[in-house]
Amino acid sequence: MVPSIKDEILEIVATVIEKEVGDISLDAHLVQEVGADSMMALEILAALEKKYHIVIPEERLKEMTTVNKIIQMVETARKRG
Amino acid sequence: MVLEIEDIKKLIPQRFPFLMIDRVLEASPEKVIAIKNVTASEQFFKGHFPGQPIMPGALIIEAMAQTGLVLHRQKFPIDKLLFLVSVKARFFEPVFPGDQLAIEATPIKLMSKMSLVKITVHAGDKKIAEAEMAVASKDAKTV
Repeated sequence: MVPSIKDEILEIVATVIEKEVGDISLDAHLVQEVGADSMMALEILAALEKKYHIVIPEERLKEMTTVNKIIQMVETARKRG
Repeated sequence: MVLEIEDIKKLIPQRFPFLMIDRVLEASPEKVIAIKNVTASEQFFKGHFPGQPIMPGALIIEAMAQTGLVLHRQKFPIDKLLFLVSVKARFFEPVFPGDQLAIEATPIKLMSKMSLVKITVHAGDKKIAEAEMAVASKDAKTV
């Protein structure tokens, strides 16, 4: 089975934040509830750019507050090509 | 574009005895290659280690970070103090007096307040170290 984009992104986020996938709920605030920081956000952003061959502009970083929002952002960026 | 020492000083704030790169052979937002000539007269060799001079890995990290800063400045010339916020490094070979380090920095992601860069160090054919490092300004809390 091909992993869904949701599973892939969750895996990236969990790896960077050093948590288990099961410990991160999709709507949890990554900084306030999961324990991420801005450095981790940068690492997540860089990993997403590499994996999906997309460019995420700097100003979008502050929108990356939950896994669901990240998924949405990646899907939008992929549609833009 | 080659940068001599006075050009480097315009880009990064470090000074003697903590300016750890001597010349930049290539500088663009895609790649920076810096040179560090390691001489027997380096102060740190007096104590690291007496009778057995080896360049401290922490200072190799510093030279790599300064090269990373030059890379960041290729895209964002604004003069804001940047701090080292993350280092993931591996060392392969020790550095001795007489070695010339070629330090190559390439971007993973460059942003105005925070940049993530990949850096490798060679002495001749020998691979000395590689690292991923991030630098950030104090106001980089963006999330």
